[in-house]
Amino acid sequence: MKTAHIQRSGFHPLFWWVWAVLTSSVVLVLDTTNISMAAIAATLMLAAGFRGSTYWRTSFKWILRLALIAFAFRMLIGFLIGVPMPGKVLFTLPQIQLPEFLVGIRLGGPVTEQRLQSTLKEATLLAALILIFALSNSLSNPHSLLKVLPRRFYSIGLAGVIATSVAPQAVRSISRVRTAKRLRGQPGNGLGSWRRVAIPVLEDSLERSIDLAASLESRGYGYFPKTTRYRAQRWQITDTLGVSGPAYVLIAALMLNPTAALLLGVLFFLLILTPVVAR
Amino acid sequence: MINFSKVSLIYPNSQRTIIEDVSFEVNEGEFVLLMGHTGAGKSSVLRLINGLVPHHTGGILSGSISVAGRSTSTLKPGELADVVGIVGQNPANTFVSDIVEDEIAFSLETLGIAPDVMRKRVEEVLDLLALTPLRRKNISELSGGEQQRVAIAAALVANPKLLLLDEPTSALDPIAAEEVLSILHRLVHDLGLTVILSEHRLERVIQFVDRIILIHGDGSLELGTAEEVMRSSPIAPPLVELARALNMPTIPLSVREFRKLAPRIEIGENVGSSGHNSLGEVLLSINELSAAYEDSQRAYALSKVNLEICAGEIVALMGRNGAGKTTLLKCAVGLAPVIEGQVRVSGKNPAHLEGPDLIKNVGYVPQEPTDLLYGQSILEECALADRDNNVAEGSTLEIYKSLMQIPDLSSHPRDVSEGQRLGLALSIILSAQPPLIVLDEPTRGLDYQAKKTLVQTLKQVAAQQRRAVLISTHDVELVAEVADRVLFLADGELIADGTTAEVLNASPAFAPQVAKALPHTNWITVEEAERYFNAKN
Repeated sequence: MKTAHIQRSGFHPLFWWVWAVLTSSVVLVLDTTNISMAAIAATLMLAAGFRGSTYWRTSFKWILRLALIAFAFRMLIGFLIGVPMPGKVLFTLPQIQLPEFLVGIRLGGPVTEQRLQSTLKEATLLAALILIFALSNSLSNPHSLLKVLPRRFYSIGLAGVIATSVAPQAVRSISRVRTAKRLRGQPGNGLGSWRRVAIPVLEDSLERSIDLAASLESRGYGYFPKTTRYRAQRWQITDTLGVSGPAYVLIAALMLNPTAALLLGVLFFLLILTPVVAR
Repeated sequence: MINFSKVSLIYPNSQRTIIEDVSFEVNEGEFVLLMGHTGAGKSSVLRLINGLVPHHTGGILSGSISVAGRSTSTLKPGELADVVGIVGQNPANTFVSDIVEDEIAFSLETLGIAPDVMRKRVEEVLDLLALTPLRRKNISELSGGEQQRVAIAAALVANPKLLLLDEPTSALDPIAAEEVLSILHRLVHDLGLTVILSEHRLERVIQFVDRIILIHGDGSLELGTAEEVMRSSPIAPPLVELARALNMPTIPLSVREFRKLAPRIEIGENVGSSGHNSLGEVLLSINELSAAYEDSQRAYALSKVNLEICAGEIVALMGRNGAGKTTLLKCAVGLAPVIEGQVRVSGKNPAHLEGPDLIKNVGYVPQEPTDLLYGQSILEECALADRDNNVAEGSTLEIYKSLMQIPDLSSHPRDVSEGQRLGLALSIILSAQPPLIVLDEPTRGLDYQAKKTLVQTLKQVAAQQRRAVLISTHDVELVAEVADRVLFLADGELIADGTTAEVLNASPAFAPQVAKALPHTNWITVEEAERYFNAKN
């Protein structure tokens, strides 16, 4: 068996997905504000380190905005709605009286230190998870998954690829539609224009996916029982090294007492960056 | 190789039959051109051959089609992948890999070809299509012509008996188009490959093909040798039109044949010059402009470009793929980042114009007219444009109706033909009445009829409404018809700026057919030649 003896550039197509699953597991298992913040910081550093010009990658900066919006929204909801929490009152929002059957739930009212902490914890967790998966989505070409997924599951593979390529393609379409709006002399970005952006963006993505599916279909993807490799797509030592960091922390987190969280956090922050070393 | 027997095709929710009761055969080793008006059904017929229609797109098919002895009604396109290769209209959407070499190999991987065979075939195809220097490159960084070659290579590598191409040269400059076509020509002659391609720019392909299938659009089609079909075809390249105007007994298909047959005509000067428009004030001035590509860290797309465009003139911007034409146009509307130098539209910097101010000064029709459209129907688009441009209700629609013969107003803009989409985008821009109109490659996918309408509209806009038009295009014949002045970009530098005849005739690759056929005249369009002969008789 002779395959092309050319050094594969970058990681295995599944690398960033493995990395994302491990990292997000750590974040979920440890579940503290510090860990989530460390994950956010590390993700941003990785995004800066692996920056490139392909359009898959430009999607990250848009997801970053989405993560910020999600964070702000979660904070706002946390302040506004929920069961009353004890503790030092930081400030008081005007409270709305709810009917009696909604006992224990409040709308507005005093915001305590404890509420601030729990809201912050959940909001950072949310932002961290969004960013982790956005990073893996933006650093791997979704199409390359087609090459490693088993061909027997042709339609599942195709559906997966279309699903993972929606975000980057939508980003590309959004910028296209925004340009069109500018060229047509439309002022502002009001809410009324959202419908005008969303529908063409969906249509665009759909059209690309249909084109891709037609191309795969006419190239015989999924029809021939035996498939071969031009270039070995083996999981290499660099891939293992790259995901080892979050993997170690996950094992440690599952085995150790959670009180060691701070130490783990520092360790985690450093180890999460192992893809940089592995590259 | 291909056998159509009593085939009819109709799409659901459509009144028109694409083809009706059609029978024909294509033999092994033939080079066949599929032609017809935009929207006549060329792509449908191509996709019928490998089964994408109706298996992938839907549609009601009757009759039987067999390809290399296999019937497409029971086989799915994937099961024909080893005998039929297809290259779509928009290759960029169909790539699976990042790297050129991997993309080509992917076709073989799915077929389960042994790795050592695969390596050899990939090497051969890389050599055949001159892609060896690009093999490790990222596909997204390649120019349109290079991407087209990669798509052809990916289809060819599987050793198909039949290759189908949907407008393979529409995005290519004349030189790249010539390259691709001569490669196909060689494949047909050396390997006995059967090639069927659809194309609008007949002047590029007609000399290479054996037979032509002309789709009339009313369900019937005509199959004959190139010469037979060209004798009476309503769609014809300039060379054929010229031969018809001269009443030549045989219809020449190449410039060489024409020169053998035609009487020698020598005229020193341009007899029937249409007379230049007098020029008005400067509408676009570009001063020492350097700019980068929008999305890459590659070298400058433009360096130190100087130019001025005045009211009343139509200027064509030409050059090879990747020469910086689109970047220059984008600079004129403030879309591309300017590194150095100045761009002024009616004295203002377009990058600082916001909202309605931009379209009141400069209107831009992008390469893909759909990029400008986001409404759900043509009517809605027109209504939106009226509101955006602050003009009386119905004025955009009025312009659209004057441009299009059969306006179908309730259709979704994505469902209408390329020509109608362009017409719609152009109407939206024209209704804002900007003094400067910029068009990027407007004739992709347009037939001769639609091009004629475009030429008339642009000429009227420039001459009567005193506006300026800047067009970037690979279409030499369009430039000959419409432009007063031609700018030539090479590798980001402006290397020529002169009258259309001067610039076009200076370069053999960019000369229009009439100039090549009658080298001793200064004519570049059939109209000029006709006027001369009419005056003589």
